[in-house]
Amino acid sequence: MALIRRNWNPKDADEWTREDWIAIVLSPLAYAALMVGTALSILLMPLGYIILAAGLALTLGMYWIINPKLSTISDAYEKKQKAYLEELERKVKWEDVP
Amino acid sequence: MVELSFLDWFWIVAFMVLMVGSGVLFYRLGKRSEADFFLAGRGLPWWLPASSVYATHTATDTPMWVSGVIYKHGLAGLWYTFFSAWCAISAFVSARIFRRSLAYTQAEWQTLRFGGLPSHLLRGWTAGWQVFMNMFILGWVGIAMGKVCHYLFGWHPFIGLTAFSAACAVYVLAAGYWGVVMADFQQGVIAFIAILIVSFWGIAHAGGPTAIVAKLEALGQAHRLNPFAFTGWFGGDFPIAWFLTMVVIAVIGGFGMGTSIDWYAEAQRIQSARTVKDAAWCIWSGTALVLIRNAIWGAAVLGFFVLYPNLTEVKDYEMAWFRLGFDTLPAGMLGFFFAAIVAIHISTISTHLNLGAVYMTRDLYHHYLRPEASERQLVWVGRLSTLLLLLGSFVFGSIMENITEWLIFALWIMAAGVWLPNILQVVWWRFNGWAYLASWIANLILSWLVVWVLPAFGVIPALKDYQQFWLLMVLGALVYLPVTFLTKPEDMKHLVKYYAMSRPIGWWGPVRREAEKLGLL
Repeated sequence: MALIRRNWNPKDADEWTREDWIAIVLSPLAYAALMVGTALSILLMPLGYIILAAGLALTLGMYWIINPKLSTISDAYEKKQKAYLEELERKVKWEDVP
Repeated sequence: MVELSFLDWFWIVAFMVLMVGSGVLFYRLGKRSEADFFLAGRGLPWWLPASSVYATHTATDTPMWVSGVIYKHGLAGLWYTFFSAWCAISAFVSARIFRRSLAYTQAEWQTLRFGGLPSHLLRGWTAGWQVFMNMFILGWVGIAMGKVCHYLFGWHPFIGLTAFSAACAVYVLAAGYWGVVMADFQQGVIAFIAILIVSFWGIAHAGGPTAIVAKLEALGQAHRLNPFAFTGWFGGDFPIAWFLTMVVIAVIGGFGMGTSIDWYAEAQRIQSARTVKDAAWCIWSGTALVLIRNAIWGAAVLGFFVLYPNLTEVKDYEMAWFRLGFDTLPAGMLGFFFAAIVAIHISTISTHLNLGAVYMTRDLYHHYLRPEASERQLVWVGRLSTLLLLLGSFVFGSIMENITEWLIFALWIMAAGVWLPNILQVVWWRFNGWAYLASWIANLILSWLVVWVLPAFGVIPALKDYQQFWLLMVLGALVYLPVTFLTKPEDMKHLVKYYAMSRPIGWWGPVRREAEKLGLL
């Protein structure tokens, strides 16, 4: 079994899996590296280039890992959305209150 | 006072016409339905709400605030702006869960997550609180524009407060969220170009990047180049304990909903995205741009520091970035810069006008007063709500000098004692509506005691802000955890319905087993 799964079916994609947790860890690190790396790079500091490159690599890695799963979740969910919206409108009109 | 040439005025008038006109153009789409007036029909590709996230969080007071913390702390001050990193985890957790719920607002989500009386109490409380907060923020941002106009042109602050907000209200009233998000895209582009031009122009004026680094070293201020220049574990004005608290609040907060005051605006953008995937990427990329923008400002403000290293008054150095633009840009570009400031300003105003109106219309009028209202009526109530918020913001803006301390306290109330309950409501099935309500009530009392009353009577020492956060979190838990276990769990049918729709993360075992038994998963 591959370390990172990139082909998903709707049922499996609805579960919280290792891919979600990897994105959860990489994402704040990417933010911090992009912010610090940009400031130091503008000041032409070599460390800034390294941190900025790391930030971009983390962003791309995160996208590569999580985007296929998000696409599958989205596709599957769109089919159910209409029924959920009707339910929501019933709630705002108090129709389901006993 | 700044003198503007004919070319400067041309830029200002042209951009105002473009910004207001582009919003009004979407009048026909905005009036179709409540969903169009407040969520652009839930059909936007990720980059449109992303630009709105970025534009909304670039307000007139934002460069003043960033200038202040960078001038004071150097690049370490960037961490003060890192609170927006809650979107790092939220994009893949709470945004996904919230988008699947389809709730218009956080207040509506609470009636999906919780059931019975507490859910309706919470919906009313959250909606009322958000109407109040949006009016407050409109006044706060509005008076910042008043101050900028007073600094530049000598106008009375009330003119800057009212003129641009009123112009912005034209397209928010006409086209609702369609107008907001379309104008935000254009304003975001204008603002980002201006930020790049002014910041790099200012850096060049300070001698260029290499010279700024050399001058900082010569001034004995090289530590300002280090984003991790802490002043010890607990001492000084930038301790590691503060940094770690900020990282926990910002990053872990992404598992919850409402852990940041910005969640409520982002929630609207999340729901306006056309898919779950678009919702995730819109808040991730919009916030990434916010953090990169802060870094660009940070480098520019270091340039300002080497030009004026001895400023001690906050009111002087918080204008650092504005002064880089107005003191150094050539004639003809000043108008472009001011037009960009107007873009920065009205992108925030438009968001909060429409955001306050959605709570007033959807959660108060539609839910409590007229459940059978037609789409046409709801759009008109949305417009009336927008107008009320605008007028209320003028009042708040006029008295803001006297109530700033109260606003900061109000924001603090939002953050501290309910931070963990905001996470628990997402991740723990047993956490119920009574417990969440109790956490709010407890926090309203405890925050007064911890911040003001007990230190005033010498019962506890005056605590630093990060110490107050941890204390309020513990004291709040001593109230809402017993309430959780002493009251019944939410109705299982209600929870199963919510679980099947939203698929939340965390401790949902009993609900999941019930949903599986019913064949819903």
